[in-house]
Amino acid sequence: MKKKVIRIRIIIMTVLALLLVLVTTFADVFSPNDPYATSASAIRMAPCPAYPFGTDNLGRCVFARVLYGGRTTIAATFALVAVSFVIGTVIGMICGYYGGILDRVCMRVADILLSFPQMVVAIAVAGILGGGMKGAMIALGITMWVSFARLSRSHTFSLRNEAFIKAALFAGKSDPYIILVHILPNLLAPVLTNALTQIGTTMIGLSGLSFLGLGVVPPVAEWGSMISEARAYIQIAPWAVLFPSLATILTIIIFNYLGDAVINYREA
Amino acid sequence: MIHKLLKRIAGLVLILVILSFFVFALLYIAPGDPAEKRLTSQGVAVTKQVLDAERARLGLFRPFLVRYGEWLFGVVRGDFGVSFKDDLPVAPKLFQGLQNTCLLAVSSLLMALLLSFGLSIASVLNKDGPADHLVRICAFVSNSLPNFLISVMLMYLLCIRLDLFPVIAAKGDLRGLVMPVLSLTIPMCGRFTRQMRAEFLDQMRSDYVTGMRGRGVRTRYILLNVVRNALGHIFTIVALQIGTLMGGSVVIETIFRWPGIGKLVMDAITARDYPVIMGFVVIMGTIYVVINQLSDIINHILDPRTAL
Amino acid sequence: MCAASNMAENTEMNILHISGLTASYEEAEVLHDVTLEVEDGEILCIVGESGCGKSTLIRAICADPVLRITGGSIRYREQDITHLKERDRQRLLGTQIGLIQQNPWGAFNPIRPIGVQFRETYKSHGRRFDADQIRAIFDVLGLKNADSILQMRPCELSGGMSQRVAIAAAFALEPALLLCDEITSALDVTTAAAVTEQLLTLKRTQGTTIVMVTHHIGMARCLADRIAIMYRGRIVECGSTAEILASPQHDYTKQLLQDVPRLRVE
Repeated sequence: MKKKVIRIRIIIMTVLALLLVLVTTFADVFSPNDPYATSASAIRMAPCPAYPFGTDNLGRCVFARVLYGGRTTIAATFALVAVSFVIGTVIGMICGYYGGILDRVCMRVADILLSFPQMVVAIAVAGILGGGMKGAMIALGITMWVSFARLSRSHTFSLRNEAFIKAALFAGKSDPYIILVHILPNLLAPVLTNALTQIGTTMIGLSGLSFLGLGVVPPVAEWGSMISEARAYIQIAPWAVLFPSLATILTIIIFNYLGDAVINYREA
Repeated sequence: MIHKLLKRIAGLVLILVILSFFVFALLYIAPGDPAEKRLTSQGVAVTKQVLDAERARLGLFRPFLVRYGEWLFGVVRGDFGVSFKDDLPVAPKLFQGLQNTCLLAVSSLLMALLLSFGLSIASVLNKDGPADHLVRICAFVSNSLPNFLISVMLMYLLCIRLDLFPVIAAKGDLRGLVMPVLSLTIPMCGRFTRQMRAEFLDQMRSDYVTGMRGRGVRTRYILLNVVRNALGHIFTIVALQIGTLMGGSVVIETIFRWPGIGKLVMDAITARDYPVIMGFVVIMGTIYVVINQLSDIINHILDPRTAL
Repeated sequence: MCAASNMAENTEMNILHISGLTASYEEAEVLHDVTLEVEDGEILCIVGESGCGKSTLIRAICADPVLRITGGSIRYREQDITHLKERDRQRLLGTQIGLIQQNPWGAFNPIRPIGVQFRETYKSHGRRFDADQIRAIFDVLGLKNADSILQMRPCELSGGMSQRVAIAAAFALEPALLLCDEITSALDVTTAAAVTEQLLTLKRTQGTTIVMVTHHIGMARCLADRIAIMYRGRIVECGSTAEILASPQHDYTKQLLQDVPRLRVE
C-alpha cells in the first residue's frame, strides 16, 4: 500500500525529469528564438508572445536562454555524476575485491579527500584553473568519486563472501569476469540510488560556481551565470532573473524528490 | 585515552600537511609559472629578461620541495607571503577578512541551529501530523535552494519590492547583516532540520524510550533524554556542514560585498593573486579539519560508548 | 476462542480485560481478535514462539505508537484504555501498569546516571525522590551499594544488574499490574533464576498482578497461575496451569508440551 504510493510518486517524478531532459536536450526544437542573437531594439522587454520570458540586457530571448542554459547545466551535471560514478565504482570494486595494500591506500586517499571542505577546494581549484565548465567539473569531481567508491567497496566486500561468488571462483572464472558479471549487477541498485541523490547537490554546486563566474564563459547560456548577470538590473527586468531561478529551483526539486522517493522505496 | 588523542592530533597534522602540499602544487598545475603570473597580475610587460630576473628573485630555480618547505614554514609562523598585486603581506588581509566572515558564519550557524532545533522537535512531537508535513516540505524545499538564488530572491523581495533594507549596507550597519545571514541560514536550516528530525526519530525508536514511556515518564523528560543522546550526532552534522557554510559564504559575501575572506578570495581569483587563494584554502581547511576532529572528541565525551 | 470460561461470572473483579483486540504494524495485521482476562493478583504467562504476537500484545496495552489498534478494546479495571489521550496514558503507565522489557539496558537511557533517571520517573508522577524506598527495593533484588549504582550509567552495568535496576524502577512506582516481556531471555541461566526469584519476592510484598510473556513453557509451569497459549497472533488456549498442562486442547499446545521432554503429565 505505502510502497504503491511511493511507486506512483517515483513514476510521476521520473516522467517530469525525463521531460526536463528532453526539452533541454532538444532546446533548438522548442526554442522560438536564437539564444545568442542580440537585438538593440528589444532590450529588457517584458514577457510577450514573441519573447515568452522577456528579454535581457542585450535583447536576448530569456526563454531560449533558459532552455539552452538547462542543456548546459543538466548535461554538465549528468556528465560529472556519470564520470564520478564510473571511476568511483571501478575503484571501489577493485579495492573491495582484492583488498590488501591497494585497498588501504585508496581508502586512505578517500578519507583525506573527504576531510577537506569540498566547496572551498572546488572554488580554489576552479579559480586557479581559470574558469570554464571543465574546470568547474574537475573542481567538484575531485571529491565526488569518493562516495561511490566507498559504497561500492563495502558492497563488494560483503558480496565477495557469498556462496555464488565462491562457486564462480571454483568454476575457474577470471576475476574481471566475476567482478563484471556477478558483483557489478548486485551493487548497481544502491550505487545508482546514490548517483540519483548526487544530481541535486551537483547542480547546486555547478550553478553556484557559474554564478561566481568560475563555471561557463559568457556568452554561453547557463542558469547560474544568467542569474548572476541579470541581477544587476533586477529592478528594471525582474523576469530575466525570475525565470532562470524558477528553472533552477524546479529542476533541483524534481531530482532531489526523485532521489528521496527512491531511497524511501528501497527502505519500505 | 591520551595515546588515542595523540594519535588523532598526529593524523590531523598529517591531513593539514597534505592539504598544504595540495594547495602549493595547485599553483604549479595552473597555466604559467608564478613569476609570469605575478608580472601579468601587476600589469608589467613580460619579456624574457624581466621574467628570468623575477624567477631568480622569487627563487624559482631552486627545487620544488625546498620552496614548498619554505612556504610551509612561513605559513606555520603565520606568514602567508606577499600579494602579487601590491606586494603587501597577505596574512593581515586574510585575518581581517576571516573576522568578518566569522561574524557572518557564526550568526547564520546559530540562527540555523536554533530554528532547526525548534522545527525538528515540533516535527517529532507531531509525527505524521500536519505540522510535521509542513516542516518536512519546508525543509525539503529550502534544502533544494542554492544560496545565491535565495539571496537574489531576498534582495528582490525585501530591498526592491518592500524596500525594507538597503541592498548594500553602510559599514557598521547591522541591517546589512540581515540578508547575508538569512541567505546562509535558510538552506542550512533545511539540511539541519532534516538531519535532526531523522536523528530524533531514530532515538525515539530506541528501547529506552519505550522503557520510559512504560514508566509513565513525562514527554518533556523523554525529549530531554532524546536530545541529550542525539547531541553527539548533532555535533557531527554541524561540523560536516561547516564546509558547505564556508563555500556558501564565498558566494554570499561576493553578492553582498561583505568584506570577508570569501570576497577577498574571489577578488584574488579575478586578479590571479595566488598567495591569497592559497592562504584562503589553508586557513579554511585548517578550521574545517580541526572542527571535525574536535567534534569526534566531543562525541566521545558525550557518549563514552563511541570509539575515539 | 478463549473467553476465560472458568471465571466468566466474576469479570468485574478482573484487573485487565482485552476483548476482540486487533492491531497492526504498518499494513500487516499482527493481532487477530485477541480476548484475554487477567485476574487480580495472579501471574498469567503468555506462551508462544517468537513472532507469534505475544510481545505485540504487551505493546498494545502500553500503546506503543508504532502499533495501530484497529479493533476491539482494552479495559483496565473499569476504565477503557484502548485509545487514551497521551496525558492520561502517561499518568496510567508506571503507577498503575508497569513494564519491564526484554533488553536489560532498555529501561534507562544508557548514557545518563541512573539516579537522575529515577528522579525524573518520580517527578513525572508528582512524587518526591525516595532514596529509602529505592534502597529497600535494591536490597530485595540483591543490589548492594545502592548509592554508587545510582551514580552509574546503565552502559557501565552488566545485563543482570541492569535488569534488576529496571525491575526496581518498575516496582518503585508500585503498579497494580506489571507487564514483563521476556525479561530473562537475555540473561544467563543462573542470573535469570535469581532475577525471577527476586521478582516473585517483590510481587508477594506488594501484591502485584503480573502478566509475563515467555517462549519457555518450563518457566510458565514454575511461575504461572494461569497460562495463555498464543499462536500466529491469536490466543488459542487459555486456562489454569494444571489444566493446560494436563489436557491441552489445541494442536499447537500439544506440540509445545511434547517439545519439553522432561514434562510428565500426572
